[in-house]
Amino acid sequence: MGTFDGILSGLSVAFSVQGMLFVLIGVFAGTFIGMMPGLGPISAIAIMIPLTYNMEPTVALVLMAGVYYGAVFGGSTSSILLNAPGISGTVATAFDGYPMAQNGQAGKALAIAAISSFAGGTVSVVLLMLFAPLLASVAIVFGPPEYFALMLLGLTAIASLSDGSTIKALISAVLGLMFVTIGMDSQTGTTRFTFNNSNLLEGIDFLVIALGLFAIAEICNLIVNRKKTIKNQGNIGSLKLSKQDFKDMSGPMTRQSFLGFILGVLPGAGATIASFIGYITEKKIAKRPEEFGKGAVKGISAPETANNAATSGAFVPLLSLGIPGSGTTAVLLGALLVLNVPPGPLLIEEQPDLFWGVIISMYIGNVFLLILNLPLIPYIAKVLLIPRPMLISLVIMFSMIGVYSISFSTFDLYLLLAFGVIGYLMKLYNFPAAPLILAFILGGMMEESFRQAMTIANDDLTVFFTRPIALSMLIVALLSFLVPIIRQKKTTSA
Amino acid sequence: MKHSKYWIGAGVLSLSVLSACGSGGGDSSSGGGDGGGEEENYEPDSSLEIVAPAGAGGGWDTVARSAAEGLEKEEIVDQGIGVVNREGGGGANGWSYIHNQAGNPEYSFVASPPLLLVPLNGQSEYSYEDFTPLSNMIADYGAFAVTEDSKWDDLNDLFDDMKENPDDITVVGESSPGSMDHMQFAKIAAGAGVDPSTIKYVSAQDGSALTNLLNGQADVYSTGITETVEQVRAGDVKVLGITAEERLEGDTVSEFPTATEQGIEETFVNWRGFLGPPDMSDAEIAYYEETFKELSESDYWQETRQSYAWEENYMDSEEFEEFLAEEEESMQDLLDEVGIDRGGE
Amino acid sequence: MFRSANKMISMILIVIAIFYLYLAFQIPAFATGMFTASTMPKAAGFLLILLSIFLFFIKEGESEEDQEKRKEAGQHIFYLGGVGVMILLYITLLEPVGFILASTIFIFLCSLFMGYRKHIVNAVTSIVFPLTLYLVFTQLLNISLPPGILPL
Repeated sequence: MGTFDGILSGLSVAFSVQGMLFVLIGVFAGTFIGMMPGLGPISAIAIMIPLTYNMEPTVALVLMAGVYYGAVFGGSTSSILLNAPGISGTVATAFDGYPMAQNGQAGKALAIAAISSFAGGTVSVVLLMLFAPLLASVAIVFGPPEYFALMLLGLTAIASLSDGSTIKALISAVLGLMFVTIGMDSQTGTTRFTFNNSNLLEGIDFLVIALGLFAIAEICNLIVNRKKTIKNQGNIGSLKLSKQDFKDMSGPMTRQSFLGFILGVLPGAGATIASFIGYITEKKIAKRPEEFGKGAVKGISAPETANNAATSGAFVPLLSLGIPGSGTTAVLLGALLVLNVPPGPLLIEEQPDLFWGVIISMYIGNVFLLILNLPLIPYIAKVLLIPRPMLISLVIMFSMIGVYSISFSTFDLYLLLAFGVIGYLMKLYNFPAAPLILAFILGGMMEESFRQAMTIANDDLTVFFTRPIALSMLIVALLSFLVPIIRQKKTTSA
Repeated sequence: MKHSKYWIGAGVLSLSVLSACGSGGGDSSSGGGDGGGEEENYEPDSSLEIVAPAGAGGGWDTVARSAAEGLEKEEIVDQGIGVVNREGGGGANGWSYIHNQAGNPEYSFVASPPLLLVPLNGQSEYSYEDFTPLSNMIADYGAFAVTEDSKWDDLNDLFDDMKENPDDITVVGESSPGSMDHMQFAKIAAGAGVDPSTIKYVSAQDGSALTNLLNGQADVYSTGITETVEQVRAGDVKVLGITAEERLEGDTVSEFPTATEQGIEETFVNWRGFLGPPDMSDAEIAYYEETFKELSESDYWQETRQSYAWEENYMDSEEFEEFLAEEEESMQDLLDEVGIDRGGE
Repeated sequence: MFRSANKMISMILIVIAIFYLYLAFQIPAFATGMFTASTMPKAAGFLLILLSIFLFFIKEGESEEDQEKRKEAGQHIFYLGGVGVMILLYITLLEPVGFILASTIFIFLCSLFMGYRKHIVNAVTSIVFPLTLYLVFTQLLNISLPPGILPL
């Protein structure tokens, strides 16, 4: 069967009553689960697996794809409204989403997120459709030296993540590196900084740090300002976007759809890194970078476009090679095995209707997500009208249940509180939290890939300079680190 | 609730029968039996809880969830069954949770070789001896894959090169050093005369293990058989050997040669079974043995085994315990040879 | 004491870095190569000391706003600490008492402490929210939360 026939049979699958119904169910269930504290795409799909046992593979996969999309989207809601990112992919969304919501424009922030997600999802599905088989070779180009260079490149953006002192941003980042070294070392199995506590063996969960530094620290802020109310309450649910807003969004939506997709294709990089890199690149090229962090339209649009684009990117290695590039696609792979559809390099050839059916459902899923969510936004935004004293208690419970449903251990809850205190102190003394989180995400992979590269090359450091992709990324990393510092020096001495 | 009342009732009934016998005449024979009904036949009075000591979607979770589904669907267990994920510490959190459930026979957990390896690596204070082995259910085996254009055609080619230039050959796997993927390779390699401490093993998660084999960063991929099937069918990789005793049945897998048939007398079994909290009574153990045996023989389980390419490998509590003791000893020896001694138990 | 907040923080960070480095040097090396499990921790520890020294010497005037922010936090320390203690109790009670009961008590008391005076609304919310979430998690999503002492 040729590609064209494949697309046709895919269309017939996707536009069947059954196909449409399951996309709708999937998107709805995914959004709902994604909004639950601590539950992201991984849990959403795992929860759905038993339901698919007796389904036809294509229908099951259509449902899963819908759930996946919905969950990624649903996660951004709590980031924007409560500064409480439910999953790692939406941390960067909180940077500007929360300030905008606090300005009384929660509806607008959610609308920007929804539209950007739609753009990222749609563009990347088209890319997936056109280039999936071609990109399969790209997915495996990256070896440990390239990953190391990519992570380092991401880390050099730290200075640009803060508006205040570069030293303080760097200190935050180093603290993030220190937190990520807690736990079992992946390359030797040695335990580090665990104080013989088995709860620390697998390291600190990302969500504990994110919810602590963002949600709980923000709660402290709300406690101090508990008598105040939010500005412009009347417009809180309004979706109205101005022409200028759309103009602002168009840039990030185009660029980050591509960038996010490519990062999603690389196994291991995923939605989280895509969202951060999306945010950082948009800030770097923006005409008014000082608006970032205060509720900039681009600051919401960039990470939301990127994380959705990365979500479809992650399907490339899964469907074209059978390689699960992320935790979520690993669970999806498990689900496919249950359905007797082992994904591998032959999937597209042997089961074209399944492959194309899924791709086209992803497209429909995106449309559904948008029409499902836009009308709901005014109601969801009203969460912010809950009186502050009550909101404080509810957000604390929300964060608690989020962390507890991951590890089922109260130890992590104590840690959450501790990170809340750290986060608030950092806020009071102007240490930005974003570099800490970024270093925590990238640092672990950076160390791992560095040591893998060194083991493979028998400790020969030249591997980083003899491989063109790695080398060019390292050069860009060096420049992006030095240029802002030199510029800063010039302006302060002048 | 209903059931507990029923069983208390049965207990009272059998007691009264006993006493009646006693008063009736001295030498009542085996009719009454000894002990109350509760001792003889344990039946859970609340819903069963199966713990997967890992997150949703992983290997343990899959076994736990499909077992729970099977026990309910085939109506082997009348009570409800819950699956609980207790993630963390490579299993250690889940194990310490179960250990604290001593006296609560409703709890059990899914286990596989990491239950032996993690404590041996000093990463958990509990070993299999702190639990009650109930039943083993299935076996799975390891496979060693290389790219299709690799210069090695069988395991002996590879191991001969390894003996000469161990620094040139990178073995990649998902798990950390000292755990499954590393140990299964070390075990077979040692059987072929390679010094296990010279093996250059790199641990790579998130699918990058296979990526690194395909892009040439790594030379050998140590993994499970299922993970290799599709790649072999597409002609991207070839499997040099598997760790099973005999060839497996199935379309592609039957072409995979075993290490044994290549003259290397070593095997590695990735067993999957259930254990319960410490100090369970014989009646409780018997209940689980029966339950899992019934599951193992059910149609549902047969289908599940097929879709995941698991081999049937039922062991009752006693066999399972002996098996675990042997495995632990051989793993300890192997870890010593590899040069990992972390002072674990 | 120290003349500025930066100097004080710098000293605290150096102490942390030294403790961290002390632990980093205890990490046993299993690999034979140059780069082991302790390489990155050591690098991070020394980097933190270096950056802290920079922090000690930079002359960065703090704006009025920043000092005001801390002063305000100081005034509310009773409330911040109070909520902190409540969270601690909440965590401690979560497993023995159960999610629903612990959350209900926490939400009611915490909202009250924060100055919420509509007691009936408060009571209803603090019962309905945890109960709904509990049912959604345990029944719909199959994720078990501690039932505690309630007969569920």
